[in-house]
Amino acid sequence: MNPAVHLDGITKRFPGVVANDDVDLTVERGSVHALLGENGAGKTTLMNVLYGLYEPTEGTVVLDGEPQSFDSPRDAIDAGIGMIHQHFMLVDPMTVWENVVLGNEPRTWGGLRVDETAARDAVTELSERYGFDVDPDATIADISVGEQQRVEILKALYRGADVLIMDEPTAVLTPQEVEELYGVFEELTDQGKTIIFISHKLGEALSAADDITVLRDGLNVGTVSAADVTREDLAEMMVGREVLMEPAASPQPPGDSVLEVTGLCVDDDRGVEAVSDLSFELRAGEVLGVAGVDGNGQSQLVEAVTGLRSATAGEIRYRGESIRGTTRRERIDGGMAFIPEDRHERGLVMSYDLTENGILGSQHDPPFARGGRLDWRASRDHAESVIEQYDVRPPDAEATAESLSGGNQQKFIVGREFERDPDLVVAMHPTRGVDIGSTEFLHDRLLDLRAEGKAVLLVSSKLDEVQGLSDRLAVMHEGSFSGVVDPATVTEEEIGLLMAGERLDDGSVERAAVHDDGAGEGADA
Amino acid sequence: MSDSDSGGEPDRTPSLARRVLAPFADRSVAERLVISLAAIVLSIAVGFVIVLVSGRVAECSTAAWTMPATGMGFCYDPVEVYVVLFNGALGYPFAVGEPGLLNPNWSPFNLSFGLTLSETTLLIFTGLSVAVAFRAGLFNIGTQGQLVVGALATALTVIAAAPLLPDGPIAGVVLILVGTAAGAVGGGFWGAIPGALKAYADANEVITTIMLNFVAANVAYVLVLEVFRAEGSSVVATRYVPEYAQIRPWLFSASSDFALVALAAGVACIAGLYYLLEHTPFGYDLRTSGVQAAAAEYGGVNAKLTTVRAMTLSGAIGGIGGSVWVLMSEGRWMASVPDLGFDGITVSILAGNNPIGVLPAAFLFGLLKGGALEIGFQTDVPTELVGVLRGLIILFVAMPEFFRMIGRYAGMGSGGTGGVASTASEAEADEAAGTEGGEADA
Repeated sequence: MNPAVHLDGITKRFPGVVANDDVDLTVERGSVHALLGENGAGKTTLMNVLYGLYEPTEGTVVLDGEPQSFDSPRDAIDAGIGMIHQHFMLVDPMTVWENVVLGNEPRTWGGLRVDETAARDAVTELSERYGFDVDPDATIADISVGEQQRVEILKALYRGADVLIMDEPTAVLTPQEVEELYGVFEELTDQGKTIIFISHKLGEALSAADDITVLRDGLNVGTVSAADVTREDLAEMMVGREVLMEPAASPQPPGDSVLEVTGLCVDDDRGVEAVSDLSFELRAGEVLGVAGVDGNGQSQLVEAVTGLRSATAGEIRYRGESIRGTTRRERIDGGMAFIPEDRHERGLVMSYDLTENGILGSQHDPPFARGGRLDWRASRDHAESVIEQYDVRPPDAEATAESLSGGNQQKFIVGREFERDPDLVVAMHPTRGVDIGSTEFLHDRLLDLRAEGKAVLLVSSKLDEVQGLSDRLAVMHEGSFSGVVDPATVTEEEIGLLMAGERLDDGSVERAAVHDDGAGEGADA
Repeated sequence: MSDSDSGGEPDRTPSLARRVLAPFADRSVAERLVISLAAIVLSIAVGFVIVLVSGRVAECSTAAWTMPATGMGFCYDPVEVYVVLFNGALGYPFAVGEPGLLNPNWSPFNLSFGLTLSETTLLIFTGLSVAVAFRAGLFNIGTQGQLVVGALATALTVIAAAPLLPDGPIAGVVLILVGTAAGAVGGGFWGAIPGALKAYADANEVITTIMLNFVAANVAYVLVLEVFRAEGSSVVATRYVPEYAQIRPWLFSASSDFALVALAAGVACIAGLYYLLEHTPFGYDLRTSGVQAAAAEYGGVNAKLTTVRAMTLSGAIGGIGGSVWVLMSEGRWMASVPDLGFDGITVSILAGNNPIGVLPAAFLFGLLKGGALEIGFQTDVPTELVGVLRGLIILFVAMPEFFRMIGRYAGMGSGGTGGVASTASEAEADEAAGTEGGEADA
């Protein structure tokens, strides 16, 4: 039998960059295939070639033995390829079945009217056949993220997909929802569908996939069977050398209170309360980790602390003084460093070069601003020092931010903020998109800052990161901390429960409270 | 137009608009200059055809040009039209149809060149006014109104202050400086209003500045009509400011309404604004707000204050344009204010909103103005047709820049989520794929 998908010698060049270099990929029918690699390794580009978004520079796409030539995703969809993007393409106020049939509605009245009964029945039938537990009449806005993902899968199936490509499918899910997704994978493959999923998480590839292909720098490093490899093997394939898996924070007694948040309430852009009555304290020389599924108020909490969003109620004290109502400028000047979650929107000005980006936030301060003029020479020296220390590539202070890869953009931001000599570092997803080697380095620098007595508020969706670096780990759910736990003793399962909003029994909370030296205000379970 | 840089445009995007606009968003400065020159040549080619066709349709006793072989006669000679347009605007420095390349009797201080430079000078100020707002991400359509207010403030201040000082050149210099300052304050005030409305009431500056243009024109008209009208004047105008308080033409003839000092002030303004934007913290804040407001906010820029400041600065420069119009061109405020503010928008777009680029852009406009006047003197070509030819040139030159701006505004090109972004950063490629996939699915 022919493999479901065979990519033969795919090369994709963009001006100045080779994103995929002679990549072969064979995916057997009815299997789950993980495409593993760092950000920038060329995974998404390769899948976009398969999905007809890009035309390969060289090489062919072969489906079920037939060479294909796709001009657009429409051709790929017709050939049985379905793609589920990381960010769902669903219309929130519409129902599940309406979303599934959107654009391919069955029609009556000579094509003038949508045949609602037929559409609804078709969706119900599909949902039942694959054992998806979704109500076709539910509104998208009312169902969970995991269910929304299944609606996306239904959409692809409804269009006749035999091969489903999923881009980082677990990024938005709680650990429990991830388990459910693996169940969905099994159901789909049992019925002859083929799944390719993109991931940069080792554990996920190992537990969900039958075969794993590792990409590095646009090259296929190798395809292995998930049963035959270990995490360490995979990590080495991804990075090209042996890596340490766990950062290590040595215990150290916390110092004075740096940040004290009491009864904080913050609204999101729509005016809905995103942070509700949140309280915690952060001391010098301490890392407070905040875990949780994205969108549970972490962004609003961080913005309220850093001065980008005003709180509706509550108090924020920084080094003992209230900073509610102070401007972003005053907080920067007060020694607050901030690594924002969105490097393209906030962290960098994409059309500026690194010299100009290096002074973002310090543009009014010496040595960059002197006597009302900007000293571009000092700015350039500063940018070059960050580039060198944080291994930003290409090492060119005149390169525009937009010309850098995501990981290098991130390294530059982290470097700029760490070198501010801050008292408080607010870091949101500091290593998102950064390769393993650089991640280790950034983690080490973060721990150095901690050792120097800086306070760190670390928000991350990477569990091993928050767990490994934090002194205390708070789990955020729907705007408040569902628990503050000791990262050394808490289990992944317990964190999963907290992320889903369930409170733990008293035992584990007490463990955390003890470790806090009584500073566990957040643990009000 | 060469497409070599983006020849490998990777997106197979379904959106036509995106495909058309994205390449414009990524042009380099050199490419843009080449494109502008090509656009002028192209517009002249199209203009040739139009002149010929209208010359065939029009009636005249003797043909200005006869097509060889066919003997077909045309009323207007397109070569002559364009020679007069460009050569005439400079006062005929080139000897066309006579021996030698240059005209031996040509002096730069002629009337036509003076008219060209007069228009250039005024448009430098209004072009800069629009450009500085644009760099802060604000579309100031209100330069016209700011110019009207600034001009009136200048005229009234100088007329009121003149009796306080003894006549003479020193008083003249003082009055010119005070008058210009009054123009800057008046225009700045008129620009600060939409700035504050934008910052504190979230009112779109495009709408408010357009409305304030009407308010300025009509309030100024009524004020002059009822209160400040010169006695015995047949038009709605103030008294003339004293002659010694007008900016001296020097080398140029007085009827050209042009003073080299004013042009020098305009060029100084260009240099000052360039320095402000590129070499000061305020300029950094302003530019950052313009290209990426969220990053500016992250960097501690007070968005509201920057909006008000940028609009005030923009209005002040427009107001100075009004001062120059009063003190150099008219000698008084009068109700028929030319559309300098609106032309300033096109000048700024031509210049890519770069202060340095405003100089050649304003000069091109000046050339076309001076040349149009000259065509009226020298040929039978109707002024309406000359207007069409001017419009063609401006349209052809402005369109690529205009597309570029729309492209960047819509987040296309490498600054946005598409284009070459996918080469380097997979995160961005994800987003690009996301939007495109969505469009394809729908």
